[in-house]
Amino acid sequence: MNHFMIKQFNGLDDATTQRLHSLGLQVGSDVTAVRFYPFHGPVIIQVDQQKIGIRYRVFKQLTGGDLS
Amino acid sequence: MTTVALLGNPNTGKTTLFNELTDKYAYVGNWTGVTVEKKVGQIRHSNTEVIDLPGVYSLSPITKDESVVTNYLLRDSPDLILNVTNASQLKRNLLLSVEVLELGVPVIITLNMIDDLKRSGHYYDLKTLSTELGCPVRTSNARNKEGLPQLKADLVQNQADIQPNSPLQLNYPIMVSQAIRQAAKALTTDYQIDAKFAHWLAIQYINDNKVVRKYAVKNHLKPLLSQQAYYDAQKFADQIFETRLSFIETTLANATEQLHSTKHVAMTSKIDKVVTNPILGLPIFVGIFFLMFKFSFDWVGTPLSHQLDKLLSGPISTWANQFLTQVGALPMLRSLIVNGLIAGVGGVLTFIPQIFALFACISILEDSGYMARAALVTDRIMEMIGLNGKAFIPLIIGFGCNVTGIMAARTIEQPKERLITTLITPFMSCSARLPIYSLFVAALFPRHQAVIVLSLYFLGIVVALLMAKFYHVIFRAKENSVFIVELPQYHIPKLSIVWHGTWDKGKGFIKKAGTIIFAGTVLIWLLSNFNAHGYVTQIDHSFAASLGQILLPIFRPIGITTWQPISALLTGVLAKEVISSSMMVLFHTANQGALIGMIGGSFTALSAYALLVFVLLYIPCFATIGTIKSETGSAKWAAYSVVSSLVISYGLAFLIFQIGSLFT
Repeated sequence: MNHFMIKQFNGLDDATTQRLHSLGLQVGSDVTAVRFYPFHGPVIIQVDQQKIGIRYRVFKQLTGGDLS
Repeated sequence: MTTVALLGNPNTGKTTLFNELTDKYAYVGNWTGVTVEKKVGQIRHSNTEVIDLPGVYSLSPITKDESVVTNYLLRDSPDLILNVTNASQLKRNLLLSVEVLELGVPVIITLNMIDDLKRSGHYYDLKTLSTELGCPVRTSNARNKEGLPQLKADLVQNQADIQPNSPLQLNYPIMVSQAIRQAAKALTTDYQIDAKFAHWLAIQYINDNKVVRKYAVKNHLKPLLSQQAYYDAQKFADQIFETRLSFIETTLANATEQLHSTKHVAMTSKIDKVVTNPILGLPIFVGIFFLMFKFSFDWVGTPLSHQLDKLLSGPISTWANQFLTQVGALPMLRSLIVNGLIAGVGGVLTFIPQIFALFACISILEDSGYMARAALVTDRIMEMIGLNGKAFIPLIIGFGCNVTGIMAARTIEQPKERLITTLITPFMSCSARLPIYSLFVAALFPRHQAVIVLSLYFLGIVVALLMAKFYHVIFRAKENSVFIVELPQYHIPKLSIVWHGTWDKGKGFIKKAGTIIFAGTVLIWLLSNFNAHGYVTQIDHSFAASLGQILLPIFRPIGITTWQPISALLTGVLAKEVISSSMMVLFHTANQGALIGMIGGSFTALSAYALLVFVLLYIPCFATIGTIKSETGSAKWAAYSVVSSLVISYGLAFLIFQIGSLFT
């Protein structure tokens, strides 16, 4: 339930996309959401044994969900 | 002389490795164009010079810091590159390695933090890695000094003995490799650029590297410029990324070995459960900082300061006085040395224990890996004022010194957010303001020292945040900021690393004591012992007194009733540490105890607090003003910072004193 797949990088600005690529994320990568902060705060995701904090909006965009 | 460049991702232990490898470590000014500290060290008994480059994720820079590395590779060519990688995150670390290997400069890759990898139950076959990547691969753990002799032996080679690397050749899609080949060929024949370098330049240009694209424009590299639209339309950059990533994945899959003894220690996860807890995260953050201040001021710093002060104002001052009288020095000279220099510079030196204790705490937080978590738990609050959690780190470092804080803002990706952070950092109460707080709390709030000081720190934060929100609205900064923060593994802080960090941050203070504070003290002594007619014995007739008295009506509404503090505040623009030493000179006292008594006599609790608020927020020191100018690239912002902080500080001190007076 906490496993997600990265579906797309559309809608993100270039700098964000580039940094996520540099961290080894690409379409199809498996990510585990380790923690969600309240009030749509940041999300900690885990990819390849490393933990990364990203904004909720970016997380939703990557996993292709609706922004709610 | 062999030049080795250390290059790698952030959080790979690069700086620790640098400190362990080099014995003689020299700080060599700044990189050209940007004020990023350039560190060069030397390996003992060798001709090898090691350059520490800032940590980067790729050679395509997003931030100012990162562009240093690309510019370095474009301009200079090191004899050897030591690529430091984090062994447990090799996949993304190798993305950078591939870019470096394509350059064709001799490279050695070291898998650092190798013990973290072993703990996770994996290992890599070094031979396979070495063959696939085409360069030597070593392992190390800089924290425990593992693998260092081998690395040192690799680096201490004569220039001639270094094995050349041929550039790494990846199988890019046919269209891409054709484009690279054509461009490289044209660059070699038409511009006489070395073939290897031309090849690398073409790849980087096609991969939309902003610095390389600027370089091409500057040098009129037509073969590249003319094709730009084609490269971008075909999305060659994406194809390059995919090819690199799949190459790395294949390489790692071939090299991975499973270890049987999987002793998976989940220390990081356990700590993170508590520290990054959605509800507990913020209170823990506040708690950690409270402990840090308790430690620096109440528990360790202040008691040590007292001992140092006793020594300086007692035996040393008396001895100097006696000595000077015996050798028959002029009374004026004796006054300069005893009342000016020993009291002034010495008065500042007594704060070294507190400042070093605070720097040690900050270094411990940095070394343990907590700083990234602090950025995370504060992000939601920072988002409300239009910044992101990363801006919190410069602000925290600003507690130590505003100059280093402003420099740390370079890691922020968006220019507008960086500017806002630069402008609000001076409101963070730097360690140089501590001496003056300490004096006043000792004089008027002896029982609540830590609370009063902490309240000033928090006031600084609140003002900074409010101003940030204000700027955010004014500048119409974009709503969405890049916030991607890596959470490194926790490490138990090591004494040697913490000491290095503390010394790196604190040595500036000692240097300042010898230079600007020294000069400031002499200046104050001159102002307070002379007037238009020459040497005066009564300080009340001096330049300092008349200047203070002229300004007194302006400061009366914020509760200042004597001229001495005003003259001292003026000198504080040189460096904030000078304020307390100026007071020492201006009040004609020889030790802290006497000065505290004088302050207790001429201030009430309310007027003292208003003054402290003024000190907290007024004009940044010279060094900070200079840094604002160099970081924003304009004198206007520096001037703006001076004026705005003066207005804010006066306004707030005025409100506090006037409203407070209604109740007392």
